[in-house]
Amino acid sequence: MRVWLPPVLLTVLLCALSAGMPTLEPLFEWVQPDKQNVVYERESFLFLLQNHLMLVVISALVGTVAAVAGGIFATRPAGRDFLPLVSQIASIGQTFPPVAVLALAVPVLGFGEAPILVALILYGLLPILRNTLAGLEGVDATVRQAALGMGMSPFQVLLQVELPLAGRVILAGIRTSVTINIATAAIGSTIGARTLGDPVIAGLVNGNTAYVLQGAILIGMLALTVDSLFEAAERVWDRRFLPQTAG
Amino acid sequence: MSIYSSVASNTMPNRVLPVLGCLALALVWLLDLGVIQPNRIVPGTGHGLISAVGGPWAGLVSLVLAGCVLLSFLPLRRRYLPLLGLVGLSLALLPLLLEVFAGRHLPEDAPYARSSIGAGFWCLLFLLSLMLIEILGRLGSGRGLQLMILAVIVGNWLWILRGGGLESLSLVREFNARPDKFEQALWTHLALAFGAVGISAGLAFLLALKMIRSVAWRRPILGAVSFLQTIPSLAVFGLLIAPLSALAAAFPALQAMGIRGIGWAPALLALVAYSLLPMVRNTFVALTEVPESLADAGRGMGMNERQLFFKLKLPLALPVIVEGVRITTIQAIGLTAVAALIGAGGFGSFIFQGLGQAAMDLVLLGALPTIALALLADALLTMLAASL
Amino acid sequence: MIELKNVTRRFGDAVAVDRINLTVETGEVCVLVGSSGCGKSTTLRMINQLLPHSEGQILVDGNDVTAMNPEQLRLNMGYVIQGTGLFPHWTVARNIAMVPQLLKWPRERIDERVHELLTLLDLDQATHANKYPQQLSGGQAQRVGVARALAANPNILLMDEPFGALDAITRENLQLEMLRIQSQLRKTTVFVTHDIDEALRLATRIAVMDQGRIIQHDTPENILRRPASVFVENLVGKQDRGLKLMSLHTVRDLMEAHPQPREPEPGADGLKEDDSLRVALSIMLWQNWRQVPVFNADGQETGTITRERIIQEGA
Repeated sequence: MRVWLPPVLLTVLLCALSAGMPTLEPLFEWVQPDKQNVVYERESFLFLLQNHLMLVVISALVGTVAAVAGGIFATRPAGRDFLPLVSQIASIGQTFPPVAVLALAVPVLGFGEAPILVALILYGLLPILRNTLAGLEGVDATVRQAALGMGMSPFQVLLQVELPLAGRVILAGIRTSVTINIATAAIGSTIGARTLGDPVIAGLVNGNTAYVLQGAILIGMLALTVDSLFEAAERVWDRRFLPQTAG
Repeated sequence: MSIYSSVASNTMPNRVLPVLGCLALALVWLLDLGVIQPNRIVPGTGHGLISAVGGPWAGLVSLVLAGCVLLSFLPLRRRYLPLLGLVGLSLALLPLLLEVFAGRHLPEDAPYARSSIGAGFWCLLFLLSLMLIEILGRLGSGRGLQLMILAVIVGNWLWILRGGGLESLSLVREFNARPDKFEQALWTHLALAFGAVGISAGLAFLLALKMIRSVAWRRPILGAVSFLQTIPSLAVFGLLIAPLSALAAAFPALQAMGIRGIGWAPALLALVAYSLLPMVRNTFVALTEVPESLADAGRGMGMNERQLFFKLKLPLALPVIVEGVRITTIQAIGLTAVAALIGAGGFGSFIFQGLGQAAMDLVLLGALPTIALALLADALLTMLAASL
Repeated sequence: MIELKNVTRRFGDAVAVDRINLTVETGEVCVLVGSSGCGKSTTLRMINQLLPHSEGQILVDGNDVTAMNPEQLRLNMGYVIQGTGLFPHWTVARNIAMVPQLLKWPRERIDERVHELLTLLDLDQATHANKYPQQLSGGQAQRVGVARALAANPNILLMDEPFGALDAITRENLQLEMLRIQSQLRKTTVFVTHDIDEALRLATRIAVMDQGRIIQHDTPENILRRPASVFVENLVGKQDRGLKLMSLHTVRDLMEAHPQPREPEPGADGLKEDDSLRVALSIMLWQNWRQVPVFNADGQETGTITRERIIQEGA
């Protein structure tokens, strides 16, 4: 249970900070003495946090399902033809800067939450796809051969052998994807998605460093919280499936 | 057995190309190939394939795509070479479609009217590129050929662009409105990205050496640099503003150097911080994973530790270090675009200006060169790593 | 019984297995031997249809394998491969329980069977059952591999160079183990190896393969005495053929048996009934013995053997 302590503490801290930001007003007055408003009030921080998180969670869920399905398809006999291309797309796609992908979504889809969601899904898919391929391809060929030779159906081999063995690598891919998407969603404020990037952008536009700080702190906290959650999940996974390496 | 299967896959019908070809054929007919706008802001009217370029050209495009599909069904050993020619040529000549489109639809008497690229054209470009990648992969071609084909295609595009037939293209108009700014953005972008990569490479090398010499430093250093990598870019840029402004206010000398809460200073600082993780990790791994047996062989031949490092460990580690530089560079090019938000300049400034003014072509003028830079850096550094 | 009739397998244009005919009788160990790339593994994998054959017919107990559901077919065949193919994320016990679980045996029966097999393969339940494959030595892992193949009591055992990656001593131990188990269980076994000594030791009959064809299919003794071609002759080794023949027989075959087993004299040296004639001769030459007592597994003296007799009739 100890592994879950850091994410829980960070979550409590994040929620407390989001809810209690106005109480820190004196501090921000000291940072930004020349402004009337020193605490961002256009939206509540809790709402922005929730919206930000929702974008990331939805994109991670859709991205994971799509990427894992794609990875599975490309490594089955029926989809083998597509494997070289799919792995090329996964690696070339990741050289595209996320901001540029975000920017390209706007001309196609317009402003608001839809384009950012599409951009997050498409971009977030790539690391998961790459890791799914690496994980599935990394399964020892003799293990797969033994499983088939002992009488497992291809579906049972996938479910009971390949996915559990590739799971750790896939999880690492999801972690990378979510880390990137939290950052990209923050920049999404510039195309009209309401996220924790809003206070930062508003602060930059109005020269209000206090706003910038509030947004930046919460974004950083969010990233750390989610990352610690993945850290804990990976530890639990290792303990469950790789006991000999966990000591 | 692998020999058998590769022979088999070269003669068996390949299902990837037909799928891509049919998809391209469907999308190019379904989506708008181009858009005509009366001026910069007003939304334009879209034109489908036939309407945009007329019957003969539409027929030609369909014929080429259908040809690709048919060719890839043939169980021929050498079918990939004609396919390569067909797809390569189509890609190289693709901008001609836009020229034809502009020539047919741009009103003579409207100086502000502009043509822009439609979703159909983008899809065609994207799918043809995928087909090219697939064909090159199946041919098992070397880097030299790939680079040559890329050079021919890009060279052809530039040549078509210089011909003047694409003057009305919105992207070209945006560029022509600010050639100086574009050049300045390019240099700023490059200076920031490569400056960050250079500084972080030096720092990372020192940190990696420290980690190799003392085991106690390994965890804290790796922990610190991966912590930095976890914090989203916007937050890092934001968090640097206050301390840097305070510093600048306290030390006028710094201010005179141009160091302020916004601008290049916080951008560079943040970029360096971000670049440390891949650099440190790769450098450390590269230098520590030189097999002990090799090092022992070196010692056995009488090398001292210093010679061992420079003559054996470093050359062996170099490809992995270059891989770290590649990851870092791509990441830095992307993050530099974000740094435009805190006034650091670069291509990001076009992106965010364009988003602010709802001028999509300006957004493209920022986004496309950023992507091109990242792809170029990727290609060059991959080649460098492979040649080591 | 396994019958291969005119079976061919092609990869693209290349022919890996060329119109082979092979019958493996129930309860015998058929060893396919040959150099790498000769088609022996391909032949084995066509029997459980991991590779479908291009032409011909494969019958298992009279049924055409192509007519059967491949999973059902494989569930009735134990399968052991080089490098074990144990699932790294499952414990030893769960690995062994794999096929019974697929066959939906009740929990208690599976536990009982796992225990039985661990005992059969000389693995200690308490120390090994809950380990993971990576924590085992190579020999232990391969024992688990064999246990897993035997779990659901299949009639047929397919073994694809199972001991190929092990060191010489471990390999020999496992070969002896396998002989012991086979004498108890009498599984119809197809065993692939490139090691002719392993083949001679384990086989009821050996099928020598070269370039996708079976060159000779006969008992170890006949393969040694009457090699069908120069290829087979080179494979079995011309020079030490005599010694190899000796290793096919045991002391029991040539000893002068006492009418009654008797208690040995204290401190008496001698041979065991199960020692091969090759070992017996080697020991007798080294110790300069002309005649020695022979003991059975219980340590009783059951007869004597002379050096002359081994030299005259051993090979």
